[in-house]
Amino acid sequence: MEKLTYTFPANRPIQRKTHVGVVGSGDLEILLEPTKGEETVVEIRTGITGYSDTWKRVIERFMAQQQILASITINDFGATPGVVSIRLAQAAEVSMNG
Amino acid sequence: MVSTLPVSLVESKARERAQAILDEGSARELLGPFDRFESPHLEAQNIVPQSDDGMVIMKGTIHGRPTLIISIEGNFQGGGIGEVSGAKFAGALEKALEDCQNGNLIYPVIIYDTGGVRLQEANYGLLSIAEISSAIVALKEYVPVVGIIPGKIGSFGGMSLTAGLCSALVMTREGRLGMNGPEVVEQEAGIQELNSKNKQFIWEMIGGKGRLKSGLVDRVVEDDVPNYIEAIESVWSNPTFANRTLQYEEFLSMLHELSLDGKIDPSVSRTLLQNRTKVNEIKYDTSNGKTASRGRTWFNVLTDHAPSISQAPTVLVADKEQDGKKFRYIAVVPDEGNKFYRARHGEFGLVEAWTVAKYVREAVEEDAGSKEKRVIVPIVDVPGQAFGYHEELFGIYLACSASVEAYATARQQGHPIVTLVVGKAISGAFLSHGMQGNRILAFDDDQVQVHVMSKKSAALVTMRTVEELEEFAKTVPSMAYDVHSFKSLGAIHELLQGINADLPSNEQLQQVKESIQSATNDILQTTDRSLRIRLQSPEAIEKGRKASIAVRNAINSQWK
Repeated sequence: MEKLTYTFPANRPIQRKTHVGVVGSGDLEILLEPTKGEETVVEIRTGITGYSDTWKRVIERFMAQQQILASITINDFGATPGVVSIRLAQAAEVSMNG
Repeated sequence: MVSTLPVSLVESKARERAQAILDEGSARELLGPFDRFESPHLEAQNIVPQSDDGMVIMKGTIHGRPTLIISIEGNFQGGGIGEVSGAKFAGALEKALEDCQNGNLIYPVIIYDTGGVRLQEANYGLLSIAEISSAIVALKEYVPVVGIIPGKIGSFGGMSLTAGLCSALVMTREGRLGMNGPEVVEQEAGIQELNSKNKQFIWEMIGGKGRLKSGLVDRVVEDDVPNYIEAIESVWSNPTFANRTLQYEEFLSMLHELSLDGKIDPSVSRTLLQNRTKVNEIKYDTSNGKTASRGRTWFNVLTDHAPSISQAPTVLVADKEQDGKKFRYIAVVPDEGNKFYRARHGEFGLVEAWTVAKYVREAVEEDAGSKEKRVIVPIVDVPGQAFGYHEELFGIYLACSASVEAYATARQQGHPIVTLVVGKAISGAFLSHGMQGNRILAFDDDQVQVHVMSKKSAALVTMRTVEELEEFAKTVPSMAYDVHSFKSLGAIHELLQGINADLPSNEQLQQVKESIQSATNDILQTTDRSLRIRLQSPEAIEKGRKASIAVRNAINSQWK
């Protein structure tokens, strides 16, 4: 298991806390919670070690597109970067529809 | 009316399932993902936890009726029950029971999708399942408890015992119900016993349709949400139940007639199960001598070598007066001649489970009118439940539910139950014979072991090596096999020191009798007939059940 943390400046506060996904084979769960301040902190726990570069790129791309201000928790059970991106987009969309 | 596609429960996640069944807008989740009640035991084993520990608890209504939904997430750790998920399940049922006792009926619906105990937390699963079982038995006095097994996993292991306790069971054709999963039966008994890869045969054997045709479940529905709701509603509006767990005479008669010379086909077993009836005279073959075992030794010395009143040679039962109190001792023992060849070495099989149920029930009935309820002492020396093809085919899960329910009922009706662990106390066998006791006594002895699955099978299921499992067990006491580790979880009332478990001296026997007597007095001092005391011991509070207690407190404050 590996723990990763990334921090980004952000300016679009989410409207409501959001939970998507499960920590099941090839999937992950994402929790978005409103946060004060101007930084989005992404905390990741993943069962697959050695992919921090890939995670960084996936999260950076997501943040560049969405800019959402939230506290983000990710519990991953071997999701592919594609699945991660889709889940993140899904979570972001739900969290913005207050 | 717009026609819509079916809404599948099989394809949905646990949370979606609960929401889909409850009236729109009525659902309120307790201890949801944002409350972060995750397993404290997984990270230490390099496993990523889930924020709800794979257990969804939701209150709401179905057609306006207050409902509690407990929905297990099969995608997280195979729906395995760990400390937190187990405490959420048991704690919610305990609150529902409290409501019902106060006249506010709330109707529990359990949506199963589970392989049983989560092997990474092992004995926590065992403790939780005992508490869940106890709560279901108590709740049934007030409201029907409905179980739904949509699939894909189905319901297995210790959790299938709780499914067997439900007032009514609804399945789909995709769902499966059994005690030992096919892979584990194959691992323990060999491929000639059962080929777990033969999927079509497995579904014939333990799938929803086969179980329905065997008269073991109540409904099989097509996988669409309105069908489940209709099935639940029909259970509620017509509360006449099959009460299969009370049919020990019928099951024992049927099992006695079986010939196990060849494999019995599922199509044959369905007819036998469907037509089960009580036969008046059952005569077992008792000619195969009396294989020595610790269970037999302790039964003999504690009853002063009283003859067993039980028909089955593998279950010893006798009543004995001591210091003005009546005790019923029950032991499960080996029999090399057992027709059920997977239960020859003291395993808890079909006949053993139904027989234990019978003699516990009989004590309850005989003492029903009396204020003085006899003490029941399960003597535990059971290397596990029987892993076999016929065991699964004929519903060993239900047989075990029956003995669990008999003990739980006896305890709840005021029989003090003092469990005496003299040897192995393994898995479903211990759940069915011992774990429902008010107090558990155990010998401090190397041969006394408590766990949920053999190391080999546990390694297979968790995709680890036996060495890795042993390494984890050093830091996660619930995974260890020794009695000291089990005691650190807080459920053992007394660990008896210095007893020669195989050849006790008179002084040692006296010491054991005194401990049973003092545990009995301890039980009779209060009016509490629940298993709550396991959460109140110093070990439990300090460390062993910390999360179990925290979860219950949180349920309490969120319940409303």
